Amino acid sequence: MSTLIVIDQPPYGSWEGREALDMAFSLAAFDQPVSLLFCGAGVNWLRQGQDAARVQQKSVERNLAAAPIFGVEALLADGQACLRYGLAATDLIEQASITDFGPELTGRFDHVAFAG
Amino acid sequence: MIKLKTLHLLNKPPEHSRQALCLSAVGPEDGLLLIENGVLAVTQPPQIAAERWFALGPDLEARGLTGLISEDQVLSFEGMVELTASAENVISW
Amino acid sequence: MTDRSREPTKTPAPAGVFTLVITGAPYSSQAPQTALHFAKAVLAANHQIDRVFLYGDGVHLASNLTAPPSDELNLSDTWARFLSDQDIPGVACIASALRRGLVNEAEMKRYDLPAANLREPFEIAGLGEWVSSTASESRVVYFHKGN
Repeated sequence: MSTLIVIDQPPYGSWEGREALDMAFSLAAFDQPVSLLFCGAGVNWLRQGQDAARVQQKSVERNLAAAPIFGVEALLADGQACLRYGLAATDLIEQASITDFGPELTGRFDHVAFAG
Repeated sequence: MIKLKTLHLLNKPPEHSRQALCLSAVGPEDGLLLIENGVLAVTQPPQIAAERWFALGPDLEARGLTGLISEDQVLSFEGMVELTASAENVISW
Repeated sequence: MTDRSREPTKTPAPAGVFTLVITGAPYSSQAPQTALHFAKAVLAANHQIDRVFLYGDGVHLASNLTAPPSDELNLSDTWARFLSDQDIPGVACIASALRRGLVNEAEMKRYDLPAANLREPFEIAGLGEWVSSTASESRVVYFHKGN
């Protein structure tokens, strides 16, 4: 069963994205096929150069960069949302790729889920 | 009951960003079930064929929204289970 | 030999298995209520529920310290009774639960906390329980907050 975990909330303002990452990493740890999709404000997870020290949170950049090594098959960013948030492909962490959100994308997976 | 490729469960009201996201993911063989605050969309109906979208009766009644859509589009929880069980996939938005 | 030709044949309803994941907290969302109505309808249609998994803010449903007004539905209590009566496992994700202050006796001792508040029959477990539902033939349905 392949799963697409979707994150549409930006980082640091709430823990939903972190809990979505936990879902993705758990699936990968159990050898279940999983990809991550960032859309809406969620594309901001992929922005390079995050330093969360002064809001006293763990920066997610390193976690995300390691995702492919841990078995997450793809980090996908919705192109429309990237445009809205001023993110060119070069602004994203290098493990991410831009894609088009729609039924063709979601239809490729057995499960599509948000963390909240 | 119609057999769906993907059933989309939407509980977000029309102005919520995830509502638009959901609607952009509804394909031609899919269906949409509005629940909870999502039923407010009956006042601004989605551009989906009438036989492919539904609203949960108890949530419509709670919000005083009965009578705005055809009875065929109003589902009980039993109907929600039927749609959910028979669809190939279910996505909760 | 028993004549079975006159026994009524049973046509089994298509028995599906459902897993319910609740991420919306009671009172901050309608998720636990919708999920409960849905759960009852699942059983009434002769399907099964293999587990109910609480994730994120949904873990608040498992608190035993709730005391809502008497004219309101006591969601935590109602859910707990439903799970006990129907013998359906209710699991609160450990990472979500510990962050939000939902602990059982074991976690209370482990972290030297002043109290335990996990309502029976809920148990605490890791995401592995959710992964196993996702990997199975079960239909996983999520109940999120609506705002």
